[in-house]
Parts: sequence; C-alpha cells; structure tokens
Amino acid sequence: MRAWLPLAAVLCLAASSAEAASLRIAEVVGSGGACHALRADAPAGEKAYFRLLGDRLGREILTCPVVDRAAAAQALATGRLDVALLDPAAYAPVQATTRAILTVRPAGHLNRIPLVVVTKASGPATNLASLRGKSLVFGGSAEAALAAPRQALADQGAGPGFFSREDVAADADAAAAGLRSGAADALVLNTAAWQRLCQGVRSQDNRCGDLKVVWRGRRRATLALVVRRDIPDELRFRLIGIHVAMHIEAPGTFAWASSWLPGGAEFEPTEAEALALAAR
Amino acid sequence: MRRWITGFALGCAVAVALAGCDRRPGGVASSDWRAGVKEVRFAVRGSEGDPTMATRWSVYQDYLSKAIGLPVKLYESSDYNGPIQALSSGQVDLATLAGGGYANVDAQVGGKVAPILTVRQAEGAMGYYSALLVRKDSPIHSLADMKGRSLGYVDFNSTSGYLYPRAKMRELGIEPDTFFGKTSFAGGHTQAVLALQNGQFDGAIIEVGGGDPVHGFTTGPQYTMARRGLLDVGAFRMVWVVGPIPNAVIVTRTDRPQPLIDIARGAMAALPYDRPDLWRDIGQPDGSAFTAVDRSFYAEVIRLRAADIAQRRSGSARGGKPS
Repeated sequence: MRAWLPLAAVLCLAASSAEAASLRIAEVVGSGGACHALRADAPAGEKAYFRLLGDRLGREILTCPVVDRAAAAQALATGRLDVALLDPAAYAPVQATTRAILTVRPAGHLNRIPLVVVTKASGPATNLASLRGKSLVFGGSAEAALAAPRQALADQGAGPGFFSREDVAADADAAAAGLRSGAADALVLNTAAWQRLCQGVRSQDNRCGDLKVVWRGRRRATLALVVRRDIPDELRFRLIGIHVAMHIEAPGTFAWASSWLPGGAEFEPTEAEALALAAR
Repeated sequence: MRRWITGFALGCAVAVALAGCDRRPGGVASSDWRAGVKEVRFAVRGSEGDPTMATRWSVYQDYLSKAIGLPVKLYESSDYNGPIQALSSGQVDLATLAGGGYANVDAQVGGKVAPILTVRQAEGAMGYYSALLVRKDSPIHSLADMKGRSLGYVDFNSTSGYLYPRAKMRELGIEPDTFFGKTSFAGGHTQAVLALQNGQFDGAIIEVGGGDPVHGFTTGPQYTMARRGLLDVGAFRMVWVVGPIPNAVIVTRTDRPQPLIDIARGAMAALPYDRPDLWRDIGQPDGSAFTAVDRSFYAEVIRLRAADIAQRRSGSARGGKPS
C-alpha cells in the first residue's frame, strides 16, 4: 500500500500538469478517438497552426478526433476537449455550458454589425414577432443598410414573406420619415446609423423620443470557434488576441485556420451567443 | 502511513495549485510571464472637450486589469507629446495614438513599438477627417480664401490637426508655411475651436468623424462642446474637408511579454462584443469594433510625417511656420 501512495501522488501531479499544459481541439474525421499530438503526415497548414498556438500559449496542442460537430459539442461540454468549431445546430444542445469566441469575417464584407428594428413608440409592437405582416423600410441600399439587416432578420425567422412589404429608402433619415409618416410600420438600421439619426447637438437632445427599439441583435454566425463558458478569461483573450492578428502575422497559417469559411479576411471576435437565435 | 497520506495530500495540493484539478485549461502554468511584471502601464490622451472621459477610462482600466490579471495604470496626458515620449522611452507598455503620433514614435524607435488594433466603423470605414472650420459670419468660403489669413493648428503631433491637412495643401499647390499670414498651435482640438470662436484665428484645422463629407459628421470638438452646452455648433462652417485619415491606433512595446500583448489585444478586441455598453462609454461609435493592423496601415502617415519634417528642415519656410 505504502508503495502505491507516492506513485498515486506523482500520477495526480502528472495528470494535472498534462491537462493544464495542453489545449485540445476537436477535429471532425467521422470517428471518435483519444486526443493526440498531430501526426507527421498532417497538412502543413495544420502543423503551422498548431505550432503557432503551441508557441504562443506555451502548451501542447492536441487534436481530438470526433464523429461530427454534434459529437464535438458534447465532448466540449463534458470537458473532453477545449475548442470546437460548431454550427448553430451543434451548439444549441450545449448552449448552457459553452460559448462562441471567434468567427471569420469574409473578405470584402462587414463585421457582424449590430442592428435595430424600430417602430413608433406609440405602436403596439413589442418584439420582432409582433411585426409579422407589417411593412418594413430599410435605411439605404449599402451592405450595412440592406444586406446585413436582411440576413439578420432572416436568421430571426423574419425572412422573405414575413413582412407584408419591404421598401428601401435613400438613407436613414428618409427611412425614419417613412416610419413617422405611417408609410412603414417598422424601420431597420445598423446601430451606427441609428446613433447618427438620434444623436442631437446637445447631450439632452433625443431626436428619436417618438420611436422605440423592438429588436436588437447581430446576424447569426454560421460557424464559430466555441469553448466552455468556464474557460479562464485569460486563455479566452489569448486565443482571441492570437487569432485576430493571424492574417497579418502568419497569412499562410490563417489561410488554413480559417479554411472552414473560404475567402475569409480575418478572425472576428464574437459575443457568447453568436450561434444562437438572438432574444426577441 | 500518516506520512505517506500527508505526502499524497501535499502532492495533490501542489498539483491542484499548479494546474487545477477542475479540468479547465489555463492556470498557473501559462502565467509565468507575469514574473517581474508588476503592472501594465497604458498611456491615453485625455479629452479636453469631455471631462467625463476620465471616469469612463477608469471603467476600461478595471476591465483590462481583470483580463490581464495585473494592475493596469492609466497615464492620461493632456498633450500629444506625453504618450509619444513615454512610449518611445519604454515608460509605458501600451498607448493610444493618432496615426501621426505613431509615425513620430516609429521615427524614434522603429520596431520597438508596433500597432496592434484600430477601429473599424460599422459601415467598414477605418478613417476620419480633417476640416477647416471658420465662423459662420466669416467671409471665408474656401481654402483659397484663407490666403494671408491666420490659421490655428492643433499640435505639431496632431495628425488631423496638422500633419495630414498640410500634406494635402501641398498636393493642391499650396505651401502651408507661406500661404497663411500667421499660424499657431492651439494645443488641442477644443482649444482650436475656442480660439476660433474668440476671434484669435480666421480659421482652425480640427478633426471630424462619425460620417463623411457626403452624409455629414457627428463627432469632433465642436459637436462634443455643443453637447455640453458650451457653444452652438451652427456658429461655425466647414469650408474644406480632407481624408479619410487612418483611425487612431493602439500600440504596444514589442519588447514586452508576448502573452501580455496577446491578452491585451484579445481583451480589447472582445470588448464591443462582450461589453457593448462599455464600448459606448469609452466614446466608440455604435456598431464599430477593433480590427488588427500593423505598420503598413499607417505607411502614408509615416511618409507624410517624414516629408513634413524634411520640408521644415530644408528651410523652405518663411514666417508662416507655426509659432
């Protein structure tokens, strides 16, 4: 008995140290297995990515074979790995214990910018669902005014056919005028346009006191890197800090690491619920 | 037996302390970089037009302290040169600078300081503008009308209030050191507007943002002061606007521990997504976010700074130099 105790102590120490010294990343390969170091025949881009993370985090990076994204989500939620690339369907069952941290911004397109849907303050609508069958006006035709809001609304179930009519105004001011005149029941803007619309020249000015926001959110991410919610902030911020600069510091590595969204320009941080439907 | 049990318990206690038996990644093993780093020093420019900014920065300071796991000390400077010299001499680890300030640092210490983040606005723009402001009742309606008149710049190290508009004037064939009757440095954007209001200058060069020349602007010293009830923004006119100028940058000393740089960059980049309320509180436009940049993003400003210094040293200027 005596002989086993020091061994147990050593094993305990070794196991704990190994765990802390590694970062386990899910890899969907169609079958499950134990986490392991990259094999010699791994793709060059993957090797470079693991090397970059290992060097910058000061820990061993392990790949963890999983059957599919749903299995990756379960393994992540139960602590059998630390990072997984998930889609909304895989994320939904593990939403309580995991969170998104990074997605990819496509080249030539905007970040997942925040948006608002606005109605008259005196109107009956209290959320997006209550606008079904009503008319909507967009505040311009640029991506930030039209394509981005349209996608975000579709993510919320307010895609084609949800509104009785969709108009595109010349700009935010014209769209607000349409809402105020009754030509439209609701207005959708990105929050920068909303801020410009409502901001007066004095702090007490509120040019939108007659309007109210009934929905606020971002376009849902189609894919995102996900970690457990109990991950230390330090590690989460290190992962974000390394990834957001990767397209500059190591373009070839970025190309492999972001290959799940071809044509990516850069990694973009996300809010925790980037893969979930936003609250209405 | 008791000795071994004690040994076992001690062994596991050490293991827990070193690595954490809670199965979470992270922990002490990755924090060795903190050895010898007592605090993180961050130089920021105070906003002379908005005294509440100091309170807002303190909330940001708390956020960064928690993220980095070390005390973060903010060094707020009322002038442009403070953060530049503090950064160049290694007295601070991080700083916010306008592009011209970074160009100055780059000229002094080169790769010892590197840009890490700038702001991308919601619509994708990554710049702001420089405007020539005059009083509403002024007979001046264009840059050409300023010939022989008095002009207020902001500061030698101001990008929008000195460096960039002077370069653009030269591109138009106007030599800024001789074109105006008199030029001076006001010391800040707010001071430039106040001096203009008081009749000290016929025109003042200031920064404007939150829009563009087509859609108008919502940020700049005159807007900040108007919101505080200090002046009527309608009392001024913009007669010349140039830009966009690359947005201000967060820079770091490159001789600091890489984990510190990664954590700081990650925590700041996550801020608009994690804490949109705080993002607005520190004066960032709604819908904007940080994006990573490197020296190449400021290449034009660096070139303009070098050209301006060369021009001044060549002695081509007469009495129109700022005094």
